[in-house]
Amino acid sequence: MHKQLKAHIDRLKAAGATYVDARWYPVEEANYLMMWNGNLKETTSSRESGLGVRVLYKNAWGFSASSDMSNLSTLFDKAFDNASVAAERVTFPVRLAEKDAIQASFKSPNQIDPFGVSLANKIDFLKSMDEKLNQPGVVQRASEMMFVRKQIVFLDSEGSEIEKNIVEVFPSIQVMGIDSTGETHSRKFSPDRLGVTRGWETLDMQLFNENAERIVRELNEVLVADPCPKEDRSVILLPGIMFLQTHETIGHALELDRILGYELAFAGGSFVTLNDFGKLRYGSEKLTARADATLVNSPGSFGYDDDGVPAQNNLLIDKGILVGAITGRQMVEEANAKAKRQIFDGSSGANRATAFYRVPIERMTNINIDPGEDGSLDDIVRNTEKGIILDGDKSWSIGSNREQFHFATEIGWLVDDGKVTKVVKNSTYKGETVKFYNSLSAVGDESTWVVHYVDNCGKGQPNQIMQLGHGVPVCRFDNVRIGE
Amino acid sequence: MKEKILQTLTSLREYACSKGVDAAFLYHEEDSYLMRFANSAISLNTNEHLIRLEITVYEDRRRASYEMITDLNKLDEMKQGVDIAAEMVKYAMPLNYQPSIPHIKENYADVQGFDPELGMMSGEEKLAYFNDATKDLETDKITLSGIFSSGINILAQISTKSEYTQYFQTSDAQVTIVLAHADLKWEVTAEQSAHKKDDLKPEELHAELSFLIDRYKNEPAQQVPVGSYDIVFGAAATAEMISFMNWIGFNGGLMKRGFSFLTEDHVGKKVFSEKFNLMDDPSRLETFPLTRDSMGMKREAFPLFVNGVFQKFTWYQDDADEFGEKPTGHNVPHKSLVLDAGEMDVNSLQDLVKMPKDKDILYIPFLHYMNIVNPSKGLVTASSRFGALLLKKDGSVVVPYNVRVTQSLLDIFGDKVAWMSKQQTVYNTSASYGARNPVAIVLPKFIRVNDLEISHSNSSY
Repeated sequence: MHKQLKAHIDRLKAAGATYVDARWYPVEEANYLMMWNGNLKETTSSRESGLGVRVLYKNAWGFSASSDMSNLSTLFDKAFDNASVAAERVTFPVRLAEKDAIQASFKSPNQIDPFGVSLANKIDFLKSMDEKLNQPGVVQRASEMMFVRKQIVFLDSEGSEIEKNIVEVFPSIQVMGIDSTGETHSRKFSPDRLGVTRGWETLDMQLFNENAERIVRELNEVLVADPCPKEDRSVILLPGIMFLQTHETIGHALELDRILGYELAFAGGSFVTLNDFGKLRYGSEKLTARADATLVNSPGSFGYDDDGVPAQNNLLIDKGILVGAITGRQMVEEANAKAKRQIFDGSSGANRATAFYRVPIERMTNINIDPGEDGSLDDIVRNTEKGIILDGDKSWSIGSNREQFHFATEIGWLVDDGKVTKVVKNSTYKGETVKFYNSLSAVGDESTWVVHYVDNCGKGQPNQIMQLGHGVPVCRFDNVRIGE
Repeated sequence: MKEKILQTLTSLREYACSKGVDAAFLYHEEDSYLMRFANSAISLNTNEHLIRLEITVYEDRRRASYEMITDLNKLDEMKQGVDIAAEMVKYAMPLNYQPSIPHIKENYADVQGFDPELGMMSGEEKLAYFNDATKDLETDKITLSGIFSSGINILAQISTKSEYTQYFQTSDAQVTIVLAHADLKWEVTAEQSAHKKDDLKPEELHAELSFLIDRYKNEPAQQVPVGSYDIVFGAAATAEMISFMNWIGFNGGLMKRGFSFLTEDHVGKKVFSEKFNLMDDPSRLETFPLTRDSMGMKREAFPLFVNGVFQKFTWYQDDADEFGEKPTGHNVPHKSLVLDAGEMDVNSLQDLVKMPKDKDILYIPFLHYMNIVNPSKGLVTASSRFGALLLKKDGSVVVPYNVRVTQSLLDIFGDKVAWMSKQQTVYNTSASYGARNPVAIVLPKFIRVNDLEISHSNSSY
C-alpha cells in the first residue's frame, strides 16, 4: 500500500500539485460499554479503515476521503479536483512552513492492551462500580469505558513517512440525585493521568472505589446544601474545573486558525490579535501556560502531528505575557506575513485530524498551566478571606471570541476567613477572560498539579472531536461574580 | 444502487438467520461535500463518501452492537461483523427489561426528499452561489467566511424479524455566510436551508447581508447596560432554544432520568404561552423527515404543545421498553419540529426595524454556545452573535456589543411571549459531527419576548 500511495502522491505532484499527503488508517477500532442503573445499555465495538488525501494546488487546498480503497486513482483525483475549484478563490496563497522530512514511528505507552481484555472482565468492572455507586441519595448512576486503538500511516510529497499506533482509554463514573426542590444534581469522576502508561491498568479498582465513595458522599452533601450566593468572591478552581477554564479561554483562544479568522463561520474567533504576541498581558505574573505535546502519556501527546511535524513543548503565556499559539504549518506562514514580522519560528506541531475522513486543523495538545509557589490547596484556602472552592464541570458557555464565559460546577465549598464553611449547590461563576486571568492571585504547587484528559473537544466544519490533555494546578482568582 | 444496498442487507439477514442470530441492520451512506470559506477564500473543499453499517444482535435480554465503516463490495467483512456481534452478545449482561427488536412489517421506500440536482451540485455552482450572495459586499476589511455543505444521505434497514426493508434517501444543503470586519471583529450572517435545488436563493441572502452591513457600517456601536430588555429572537436563536427543549424538555427517557424541566405532572397543563404550538410533523419535507422510525413504526403528526399546553412526551424505543411506556415512533436520528406562525406581520428584518415601537427592543438573531446550567429549571445560557441590533423607540438603530442571556426556557416561551411572526422560515440545525444527518426546524421568523434579563454585556466587539 505504501508503494501505491507514494505513486499517486508523485503522480499529483507531476500534475502540478505543490504538496500532497495521504493519511491511511489501516484500522481504527473502538469499544464502548456503558452501564446505567445496573443495565448494560451499550456494548458496542466498531472498526473502520480508509484513506484521506490532501492536495495543495495553485495555492488552495482540496481534500477527499473514502473507506473504499479499491480505486485510489479516483480518490486522489477528487482531492486534486477539489483543490482546482478552491483555486478559483484564493486571497492569501497557502504556503507551508519548512519542516524536515521524517521517517519515524510513535507508539502511545500502555502496559495492558485493553483490546486484549475480555468483555467479561470489562463488564465485571462496570458491575462492581455500579454496585459501589448504588447508595442512598443516588437515583441515577452511570459507569462507562471507552477504548480506542488506531494505526495511522502518514506519507507526504516532501518525503515524510510516519506510522503511529495509539491506544486511548477513557473510563468514568457518575451519580445523580434529586434534592427536596426537585432539582437534579450530579457528581462524576474520571481518572487523571496516573503514571507513564495508559492501558487497561488505568482501570485501577482501588482508585475507582475510593472515588466512587467520594462522589456519592459529595452528591449527598450537595443535595441538602443551600444555593450558591449571588455575590463577588475569590474562586478557587480545583483541577476538575480549572482544566476546562484553561481549555476554553486559553486553549481555544490561542488556536492560530481562530485568531486568523478561519473558524468565524462556526466556532468563532479570538479576542487575540497578531499584534498582541509579545505584548498582551493575558494574566497576572503567576500565569505561565504552555502547549506541551511531549508530556508522557496523554491523548495530547501523539509523537507527530498530521503535517508530519514532531511534538513540541512551547510556551503560550510567559509570566502573564502572551508569547505563543497553537499552530500548524500553514497558519504560521500566514500569520508572520500578515503581521509583517516573525512571530512564529515554525509550526508548533499541532495540526491534527480526528479521522481519516477529516482534514487536519489546529488542535490543542496538552495545554498546561505551570505549577506555582503558593503551596497546597490547604495553604491557598488558609490565605483566602472570602472565597469559594469549585469543582466538577456541569455547564460551560463562552463568547464567540473567547472574551467572556459562564461556567456552572457540580459542587462549591464556601471559604470564609481561611476556613471551609459549607457546601453550596448550583454554583456558577462568570467573567471576562483577560480581566479574570489578571486576577489570578494564587497558583498551587506541584502537589496540586494533575493532568486531566479531554475526550470530546469539538471544532471545525466538518466537525471533529479531538482528544487532548490539560495539566493544571489549583488556581485562585479574585473578585469573581458567582451564583448567576 | 438502491437494489444493491437492499440485496446486501437481505444477504446479511439470511446469514444471521442461518446462524440462528437475532439481529437488526442499519445501513447509512453519505456522499458529503463541504466548501468552506475564510478570509474571502475557499479555505477547504472536501468530500467524503462513507458507508456505515450498524449490526445489533439480541439474545434474550442481552444486546450488543458492532459498527463498521465499510463498502458494498465487502460482504464477507460485514458477515464477520455479524459473527463479532453474535460473540459479544454472549458476554453482555441481561437488561432488566426486554429490548424490542425492530420489526418491519412491509417494504417501504421514501425518496420524496431526494433531489439529485441538489445532491450532485458541482463545486463551480456552489462558488457561483457564494459569489452572487456576496456580490459587492466584500472589501479589504470586510471578508467572507462560511460554508456550503451539501450531500446525499441514505438510510436502509432490515432485521431478522422479517424479510422486509426500509429505505430513505434525501438530499440536503446548508449554507452559512458570514461577513466580518477584520479589525473591528463584528460579524453579520445569513443562512439558508435547502431540500431541493430550487430552495437556493442567493439573492435573499444578499439582501439580508446588505441590510445588516449598512447598519453595522453606519450606526453607532455601544455596550448596552445589563438589565431587563424586550428581546426579539431571530429564527436561528429560536431554533437553538427549541433544539435544547427537544433534549431537556419533552424527551421521555431524559425526563425519567431527571434531566428535564417537564415532569409527568405537566402533561395536559399549560406550560408555555398560548401562542406556543409545537409539533413533530414528518409531512414537512423541509425538515428532511423520516416517515417511518427504525422500528418500522409509521410516523405521523405528533403535537407536543397546543396553545402552550404540554401534550405528551416522545419515547425512544429503548426508553419505552425500560420504563414500560408506549413507543411514539421517535426512534429516529431527528424529529421534524414545526413551531406555528403567529399573528404579527413582521416578516423581515426591514419590517422589524421599521415597525413602531413602544420601547427599545434588542434583536438577537443568533445564540452562540448555548449550554444547560440547570436542566430541572430549563435554565440555559448563551451569548448573542452575528448581527444583533438595538432598535430604539425613536426609530434609530444602535449596534450592541455581544450580550449574555441566562434564562429558563420556561420564561422565554412562557407568558412573556409578546408575538410571533406571521411568516415561517426553515432553519437548518444540522451538525457535521459523525454521520450525516440533515435536520431543520420550521418556525416563525421572529419571536418577541418581553422583560428578559441580560446578565453580561461586552465592552467591545
